[in-house]
Amino acid sequence: MMRLLLLCWSLFPLLWQLRTSFLVGDALVGEGGGSPWTLQNYRLVLEGDPSLGRVLLNSAILGLVTTALTLMLAVPCAYGLHQLKGRWQPAISMGLVGAALFPTVLFFLSLLQLARWFGLANHLLALTLPYAGLSLPLAILLLRAAIHDLPPDLEDAARLDGLNPLQRLRWIVTPLLAPAMASTGLLVFLASWNEYPIALTWLSRSDRLTLPAAMGRIASSSVYAIPYGPYAAATVLGSLPLLLVVLIFQRWIISGLTQGAVKG
Amino acid sequence: MTANLLPLLLMVPALLLLGVVFLWPWAHYSWLSIHASSLLTGLRAIPNGGANWQRLVQDGRFWQDAFQTLRFAGVSVALELGLGLLTALILHRPSKGRGVLRALVLIPWALPGTVMALGWRWILNDPHGPLNALLQALGGGTYPFLASPATTWWFVVLADVWKTTPFVAIILLAGLQSIPRDLEEALRLEGAGVWSIFRRLQLPLLTPYLGLALLFRLAQAFGVFDLIQILTGGGPAGSTESLASYAYLQAIRFLDFGYSATLMLATFLILLTLSLLWLGGMRWSGVRR
Repeated sequence: MMRLLLLCWSLFPLLWQLRTSFLVGDALVGEGGGSPWTLQNYRLVLEGDPSLGRVLLNSAILGLVTTALTLMLAVPCAYGLHQLKGRWQPAISMGLVGAALFPTVLFFLSLLQLARWFGLANHLLALTLPYAGLSLPLAILLLRAAIHDLPPDLEDAARLDGLNPLQRLRWIVTPLLAPAMASTGLLVFLASWNEYPIALTWLSRSDRLTLPAAMGRIASSSVYAIPYGPYAAATVLGSLPLLLVVLIFQRWIISGLTQGAVKG
Repeated sequence: MTANLLPLLLMVPALLLLGVVFLWPWAHYSWLSIHASSLLTGLRAIPNGGANWQRLVQDGRFWQDAFQTLRFAGVSVALELGLGLLTALILHRPSKGRGVLRALVLIPWALPGTVMALGWRWILNDPHGPLNALLQALGGGTYPFLASPATTWWFVVLADVWKTTPFVAIILLAGLQSIPRDLEEALRLEGAGVWSIFRRLQLPLLTPYLGLALLFRLAQAFGVFDLIQILTGGGPAGSTESLASYAYLQAIRFLDFGYSATLMLATFLILLTLSLLWLGGMRWSGVRR
């Protein structure tokens, strides 16, 4: 009983959007005869400007490149932090925890200034720099916790075999980190997929928009007479890829979140 | 020091990017906050002493937004902790299909805030949204959910609670699952009921998880932006505007970068004060125990 209630509460808004997305405008306001069902809303958002297909592709490319860049920076950094001795390690760790908690929307103005100076506005892949930067604290903390949990014998054995630290990172630590990299990467991907304020201020050309930026643009302009049908179609199409990601990878996502809580 | 050389070298690329993203803005904002930099100055920065800060102190809209942001963060995080705890307890009970249920419950958290804010705008629409249709079916009139300065902020809280409770629940579920089953069994054999197990065993051991979820959610809720931007645009009559959306408005709509930077520094200082109070409180309660 409780479970059913929980499920309704979690899914109701989504299911309602699904229903709305197939209704004609007149049916939404309780008028009109004939069949209320239509695919018109989907055609509108897919053929509109920006086209939602293009938008989803932008978000996917940005998310994948951001994830790769973040992991490439975070894995060596986590390994270095793990090896670091003395007072630096706790100080840097504390700083990372503080940064991971911080509401990053407050940085948008300075980041926009950087985009102006270096001419990065409207370059989709330039967004990977702030996105990776904002994701790094959590990623480093998660990966460091995972390195900490590796059996120490393995590295000792590799050291005795004459592998230097770089070789150990490449051939021993990185392969063993694959599960932690997967769950960290998923969290980074989700964060990049969902980020709004920076995308909003960096991107203005409609063929460069990411999903959140396109949502913002749809919300502030109503080119459609009763725009809620197309809105709903846009939210359904915007949710679907993520829904698949969550359902397929839920174990990894939850283990990433949980690690963050336990080790942070 | 030589032992630390290689580790430090490995960290340099990440630390450089972190410095640009997390440290440089504070230097930039501090500098901007003592300059006039707006349309009036042709977007050039001209030193203006403490004029931005003076304006901040006298700016009723800043104080109103600070109050509204704190109110939003306090109320929504309190609700999220309560409902998150309840959800975690439901998910903790062994049953068939628990994994699927857990994944479905997590969905609101994973979806973009912007996407679902748009969804809530339709659900709360007056008079055509489903919530108003329900009110009418029950024989009442319609209610202007998003157009009533006195109550609209509650519906912003509702949308936020819907979206972020799963996150809190998953953190607390991890806490519940870290408690050895034997302890629960032992209490049950003693004849302890569900409530008693919760009070005597689960709640005390969950405290660090609750503290962590509280700190993280408070900090994030304090920076609420996406939801407000899309759901209400700060309205009606500024009654749901947050500090972040005010700072955004000053920078992007009014092109007043000096004042926007001042607002963001002030927001940061409020958040820092709250975090230090929280840390002090945690330490104090730790000492007492």
